Amino acid sequence: MFGFDFSWLGDPLYQSWFMKGLATTLLLSVVAGILSILIGIVGAAILHFRTPFLAPFTVILIDLFRNTPPLVQLFFFYFMLSDVGFSFTDPLTGASMPVFSGFTCVVLSLCTFNGAIAIEIIRSGISSVPSQTVEGARSLGYTRRQVFLTMELPLALRMTVPLMTNNIVSIIKTSAQASLVAVTDITYYATQAMLETFLNIEVMMVLWLIYVAIATIVSLGARAISRAVRIPGYGLVS
Amino acid sequence: MAEPIPPIVQLTDVRKAFGSVEVLKGISMEVDAGNVVCIIGPSGSGKSTVLRCINGLVSINSGSIRVDTHQVETLRTEKMLVPLRHDVSMVFQQYNLFPHKTVLENVLMAPIQVLKRNPDEVRSLAESLLAKVQLADRGDAYPGQLSGGQQQRVAIVRALAMEPKVMLFDEVTAALDPEMVKEVLGVIRDLANEGMTCILVTHEMRFAEEIADRVYFTDGGIIVEHAPPKQLFHNPEDPRLRAFLDKVL
Repeated sequence: MFGFDFSWLGDPLYQSWFMKGLATTLLLSVVAGILSILIGIVGAAILHFRTPFLAPFTVILIDLFRNTPPLVQLFFFYFMLSDVGFSFTDPLTGASMPVFSGFTCVVLSLCTFNGAIAIEIIRSGISSVPSQTVEGARSLGYTRRQVFLTMELPLALRMTVPLMTNNIVSIIKTSAQASLVAVTDITYYATQAMLETFLNIEVMMVLWLIYVAIATIVSLGARAISRAVRIPGYGLVS
Repeated sequence: MAEPIPPIVQLTDVRKAFGSVEVLKGISMEVDAGNVVCIIGPSGSGKSTVLRCINGLVSINSGSIRVDTHQVETLRTEKMLVPLRHDVSMVFQQYNLFPHKTVLENVLMAPIQVLKRNPDEVRSLAESLLAKVQLADRGDAYPGQLSGGQQQRVAIVRALAMEPKVMLFDEVTAALDPEMVKEVLGVIRDLANEGMTCILVTHEMRFAEEIADRVYFTDGGIIVEHAPPKQLFHNPEDPRLRAFLDKVL
């Protein structure tokens, strides 16, 4: 077809590579995705309550991680952390091993970059909760903590589903840089397949389609979540 | 001879400034248990702030506020304010319902989560209160699905479910269509007739005249004049009150 050669897709070796790589990519994305939402909630709570010491610290970290390339953060975690002493000597081989594996470093870098964005997303959701809702709760004796947990956070999470979805999709796409620190994700295996088959265009097309498919599934899932948490009569989510 | 019963709400020389703007410049008022008091006055005269001070939503700079046995200005933490919030409920201009909770949940939440009451007891109380305001069949609806008048009645029920001794109403009909004003005022009238102590900030002068035991007129952060409604509306003394009544009546 158009002179393209997709016969390599029938090879069980490449099939198993792509399946293994896909599993790693998905695992990276799920772990980093869940952690980034948790970071978003905790960070937004710290900023919301102006927690002494932690709040200014969080502001600095957000600026630091949001305004630097995720790849630089990945290299920082991967190369620097072991250099500054986060390494141990393997008792079996006697080799110096980094405490943080490549996989951990990828998750860390995704969490820092997209976690910082998640904090901002949830914070924007909290600030769009009507002040009347908060006042109503306070007048009924709710403490600030209760208001946060029963009013502000649930409303903020509902209102920010579309933004949070973008952030998760961004995590999935950024996870491709795992291949640069020898984590065997789908991009890593795709480059291996290119080296063996020399069918660069064909392999890249397949890789491309796989990422599109993942992102599409996530978007559809997010739309279902949006619909499930929609508040009847309240113009939050279209 | 029986001891005179002290007023259930007593404000003494209450002062409050937001930044450099002094909103309350020495407010004193007394409300007897079972009475209905209306506060009228031009916008920005501090009417709503008075209500917010009474239930501790706004802290005061000086003076004292006593509600039943609570000395409001001494309640510094949120935990200390809970017993006060139990005794004083507030209804707002914008209803202030919880948009993500059903009507029934809106009513049940605070008694269960804040007052730690038995959910079954609260539920039967909530259902009878909703029936009283003709909303028994809307328990599963969300606030956004109700009309303004219905939402405001839910807000009144939510406040009543705390079984308060005093109800505060902050311009509760100001955001409603004229035909919905009636249904909400009807609920308040029933409450007043049942002997609930009510403090209303309102622009419904006719309603104030009909329902109030005493009317306070505020202007510029002070109480200019207060009297039983007949006297205040038909024989106003202060020129500021006269000018105000000329404008609104």
